[in-house]
Amino acid sequence: MARSNEPFWWSLFSAGGVMAALFVPAFILATGIVVPFLAPDHGQAIYPQLHKAISWWPVRVVLFLVLFLSFFHCAHRIRHLLTMAGLEHARGLLSVACYGGALAGTVASLVILAGL
Amino acid sequence: MADDKKVTLSVFRYRPEQDGEPVFQEYQVPYHDDWVVLDALNWIKDNLDGTLAFRWSCRMGVCGSCGMMVDGVPRLTCATFLRDYYPSPIRVEPLANFPVERDLVITLDDFMDKLKSVKPWIIREGNNSPAVAEYLQTPTQLAQFKQYSMCINCMLCYAACPIVGLEPHFLGPAATALAMRYNLDSRDQGADQRQEALGDEHGAWGCTFIGECTEVCPKDVDPAAALQQAKVAGVKKWYRGVVLPRGGR
Amino acid sequence: MRKPYVRPMPWTWFLRTAAYRRFMIRELTSVFIAAYLVFLLVWLHRLGEGPEAFGKMLQATRTPWSVVLHVLALAAAVYHSVTWFNLTPQVMPVRIGEERLPHSAVAIAMGYLPWLVLSGLIIWGVLR
Repeated sequence: MARSNEPFWWSLFSAGGVMAALFVPAFILATGIVVPFLAPDHGQAIYPQLHKAISWWPVRVVLFLVLFLSFFHCAHRIRHLLTMAGLEHARGLLSVACYGGALAGTVASLVILAGL
Repeated sequence: MADDKKVTLSVFRYRPEQDGEPVFQEYQVPYHDDWVVLDALNWIKDNLDGTLAFRWSCRMGVCGSCGMMVDGVPRLTCATFLRDYYPSPIRVEPLANFPVERDLVITLDDFMDKLKSVKPWIIREGNNSPAVAEYLQTPTQLAQFKQYSMCINCMLCYAACPIVGLEPHFLGPAATALAMRYNLDSRDQGADQRQEALGDEHGAWGCTFIGECTEVCPKDVDPAAALQQAKVAGVKKWYRGVVLPRGGR
Repeated sequence: MRKPYVRPMPWTWFLRTAAYRRFMIRELTSVFIAAYLVFLLVWLHRLGEGPEAFGKMLQATRTPWSVVLHVLALAAAVYHSVTWFNLTPQVMPVRIGEERLPHSAVAIAMGYLPWLVLSGLIIWGVLR
């Protein structure tokens, strides 16, 4: 049923909502509080451990999934938010801008995670 | 006498033959502990102003006729007690997001069309009509859709949903709950036929899960759940359509 | 005569009731989450660029500004998580025979519990 592609965007929104809900708060704590202030080695001694942990491929897969799906989750929500707040007439443009941005984020994630 | 307490009702008036714009008219109504807003409106009509127009019928919360905005909240006026507002004045307006015919009476033609658009009857493939065969349904099968069958079409959910106000074509909570009532009924085989209404960009997909529809429903139908479940079903259909384009069912 | 009156709906409709305002805040969390995700990408990029580059990033995350922004992002992310898990039971009702599992049970089993476990794993993994 290609009447509307809304189901596809909503499925990404839905999966992304779960990923963002489960993972993002802990990531924020990690980059904002734990790594800067609480990790046992202050200074650059923490670097090898972190780099090793993040290079482990299951971690990179999870990171990619969280980034990719959460970007599309946010894009979908922002698109609808702007539509409901009065930008109804720019619906098409909003979709392109929002999902385009999410795609850019996804590609960036792929490049950065692959290069770790 | 102890019985001369009064409460003020500030009522939305609109008379198409004489008003360009609506106005609010204030009425002083006797206050009784056990009166509801509908009682107050009927007292106004019987004693103060026979021209006030409003819909009502069963006065006991089953017909769905007396829905109005009471202090900005969609409510059945037969189930809204004066004592919960007294001594403050009470603002009574027609249900939000609908055009106003006159005073507290809204135009509900669009709503009726939306109900019809989901084909709210048992649809069977082939010749298995009820006259030939009886349906057997277990309590568990009934439980799948029973909640959605409790809707009294009172339209409070449409008044609560801002999407209804922003997008006139939005199918809306009650119509979607009605569609799901049939899609989830084990006797029904018509889900594909309801897809045109449900799967449209203004069908279930117009919903952003604000959730106010479920909040105001006087019958605990939970139309928000129906809308999300319609989306999930729509996603399954969509992916099946992509993977099996020649129509696996 | 019929001359139906259509009441106007201003674009500021979401300011009208507490429920609408809460809804808008919930939707706005996506802006904060998106912003954090971009930061996370930069953070990961620096991690891949070597100890000196990451050292500068580490310094940056020790500033008051970083803490404030992280706290704001955390508030938004947590609000997203809580509202998301609380709504999940309406998206996926769980039935056992005729009975439905109560909303709270579904929210805990499919949301709060995995959230706690995963978050614990992540923080432990970073602390190690």
